[in-house]
Amino acid sequence: MQGILTAHHDAINSTPNSANSPYAPDSRIRNNAAPPAWLITMDAAVTTNATTRPAVKPELVCPAGSLRALQMAVDAGADAVYLGLKDATNARNFAGLNFDDTQVRAGVAYAHARGARVLMALNTFADARDTRPWFGAVDTAATMGADALIVADTAVMAYCRDHHPKLRLHLSVQASATSYEAIEFYRRHYGIQRAVLPRVLTLSQVAHLARLSMVDIEVFGFGSLCVMVEGRCALSSYVTGQSPNNAGVCSPPSAVRWQHTPSGVDARLNGVLIDHYGPDEPRGYPTLCKGRFDVAGERGYAIEEPTSLNTLAILPELISIGVKAIKIEGRQRSPSYVEQVTKVWRTAIDSACAAPQRYSVQPAWSATLTRFAEGQQHTLGAYDRPWR
Amino acid sequence: MTIPRETMPPKRHELPPLFESLGTHLRDGLRQVVARLPIEPPSFVLARVLDRVLLPRLAHDTRQALQGRTVELVISDLGIRVRLQLDYAGFRVASSRGEAELRILAPANSYIRLMRGEDDADRLFFERALVMEGDTELGLILKNALDAIGPLLTWPGRPA
Amino acid sequence: MTGRGAESPQNMTAPDSLPGRLALTVSAVQYHWPRQVMLDFYDEMAESPADTIVLGEAVCFRRRELKLSDWLALARDLATAGKEVVLVTRTLIESEADLRTVRRLTEQHEFLIEAGDASALQLLPDKTPFVLGPHLNIYNRAALAEHAALGATRWVAPAELSLSMLALINPPDDPVPTITGAAMQTEAFAFGRLPLAISARCFTARHHRLNKDECEFRCLDYPDGLLLSSSEGLPFLVLNGTQTQSAAQHCLISDATALRAAGVSRLRLSPCAQRFGEALDWFDRVMNQGVPATQALPALQAMSLPGGLSNGYAHNRPGMNWTDP
Repeated sequence: MQGILTAHHDAINSTPNSANSPYAPDSRIRNNAAPPAWLITMDAAVTTNATTRPAVKPELVCPAGSLRALQMAVDAGADAVYLGLKDATNARNFAGLNFDDTQVRAGVAYAHARGARVLMALNTFADARDTRPWFGAVDTAATMGADALIVADTAVMAYCRDHHPKLRLHLSVQASATSYEAIEFYRRHYGIQRAVLPRVLTLSQVAHLARLSMVDIEVFGFGSLCVMVEGRCALSSYVTGQSPNNAGVCSPPSAVRWQHTPSGVDARLNGVLIDHYGPDEPRGYPTLCKGRFDVAGERGYAIEEPTSLNTLAILPELISIGVKAIKIEGRQRSPSYVEQVTKVWRTAIDSACAAPQRYSVQPAWSATLTRFAEGQQHTLGAYDRPWR
Repeated sequence: MTIPRETMPPKRHELPPLFESLGTHLRDGLRQVVARLPIEPPSFVLARVLDRVLLPRLAHDTRQALQGRTVELVISDLGIRVRLQLDYAGFRVASSRGEAELRILAPANSYIRLMRGEDDADRLFFERALVMEGDTELGLILKNALDAIGPLLTWPGRPA
Repeated sequence: MTGRGAESPQNMTAPDSLPGRLALTVSAVQYHWPRQVMLDFYDEMAESPADTIVLGEAVCFRRRELKLSDWLALARDLATAGKEVVLVTRTLIESEADLRTVRRLTEQHEFLIEAGDASALQLLPDKTPFVLGPHLNIYNRAALAEHAALGATRWVAPAELSLSMLALINPPDDPVPTITGAAMQTEAFAFGRLPLAISARCFTARHHRLNKDECEFRCLDYPDGLLLSSSEGLPFLVLNGTQTQSAAQHCLISDATALRAAGVSRLRLSPCAQRFGEALDWFDRVMNQGVPATQALPALQAMSLPGGLSNGYAHNRPGMNWTDP
């Protein structure tokens, strides 16, 4: 059975989509009819995805900021890699990062030859001054044989629906859909087949949503953490003029200055002192929400401490509630990060699926992930809300 | 420090452990001596090496972004400081006067691990094993370019 | 799905929409004010020059000084006083209880809805007129047209968009048509602390080392939010429960001409705890009665909160900047 998108791929590229592939065509998806009554009448007993379909091994979705990172992710066992073009059409619009057309073509060929899928992040909002790069990127993805597009802007989704109806769409975390009703909106109007959840819901909220959603659910498993709802944060543009929504960047490097002082290092964002690090203090990304500020005479991490999300500890639960894909954050990170983090997650997912009862987080996995974590601290983030 | 595979002397891979094994006292002494040396000779050597191993693999947009910008690399545990600039012909020694647009400070081992593709610059940065001053965007362009290229440095007998 | 089709809710047209008038919308109060304070505030608003009043709790599900029935009663009072009333749905929907609230709002027929997120878009009956809230991330004309096709009649633009972008997205000489063929209205954020981010986490509770579910409603103590300053003493942001705002009050009092040229027909003013009525009066006098902004600006500066005034977003600059008129 061929996936929706791979119909036009040649034989060598057809390996990813087996009969039980998460990308296999599903008649639920393109059905634009009104949702069944149980989606609206919550008091009724609900039929669940989880009970009607056996738990599927979740797809491991890994970041690729370069062709080299893509190759290392695939070699390390990623089921899918996600990448973006070298422009503002994706939310990691950093100098020197990402793919040109030739690299996308090479990346797709490399991944498909090894049974992995390529997802293209087209997850910023098209610039009103010139929307062509966004629509052009859709065309590029279709031409190059990307297996799905990760989208946030309804303008981009409408273009896909109208011009590339067979292109598989995943709803980006930047679309801020935190309920099954919100996700249903995008399915009904644009036929999205998977939604990536913002990192703000508890495990039980994710379970509830996954049970009632008509589309597959992808969650973040590891990486740097946004404490704000993705797609709903303008802190960066308030200080620098550029934000994830309007420019695909948070705290753009051109606005960052590290200044060495006798007492340590000042981190400034467009002149605003967002943190001061003592000589022996670990550093973090210079993002506003992880800075230290004064509130009522107390200096500290008023919004969020520099920590990374790590959900290895709840992996069996994520699988049992029917999460279909687990995403690793970090297109801005190096190939060595991608390789080592992918290896850990490959092993962990295989282990959790083979024998969920015997699953336990191996110390070596944690050690590797901790090495790469921002702030060298791990948290389950919103999934178990210690702050709730 | 960035020697291409074909010219690398066989025993060269013992370099980092050797430095690590130097006692603190000895290393400090060495640093003081090296710090007094002029910056031109190491800069010149590195420029020639980069012309060979890096320049041909540098993407056009990266090359343009680096053009004419002065980058200073400090090997903090050895006290070695090099200043380079990329111009149309290749890397060259930059003037030792004035502020570099980007200054990177790290111990030799950090540079070597990065060059070998064994480490992640962000991780080293979080741990303060790599410090960046000045134009952060320039630093990121450089980092991303090196990540995309892959190891500049490989040891004999190990795959790249 | 049972819908009420294109039939209009009552109380939906703006009163005395003078030609060329820049209508004034009072956004939902973003803070947690005690019940009586809230009721007194809306008594004052009933007598104010505001054209439209947005009601409801947009920020935190735990804030229940007013219940939905209270909001509806207040809405009827304000409508009787001649105001157009809009009911807002929350920006972050997390639970089934949150969805129930959205359903109750989208199922009522009396008042226009401001959709806070896509859950509301999904739950609004097809072709019902509604307002696109500022967090729906409309950044280009095609996206606005997509939402117009659903029934949207008014677009509250994301605060970070400049006036020149508003002009491109909904041009005054070629506006996006709504399903009735009328022109889509553009509403711009013109006064108040900017709602910059929303989280599931409560930063006010965090400051007090309290869990969100046992927060003791500390945000009641901060009628304009809890100020956050840089370590150099720059008033920078404001913690308002799960919302993060700018410390500076965004203020487009000097931009009447540019606002009109950008196709803006409505201005949004976000309430502050003190002297908001005065600010509203100044906006009406400058925007609609020909009083020069140079008279109003010093008054607004004098009454501004710590953080002062900003207008950077409107002028294609960082939001915290102030550009002299």
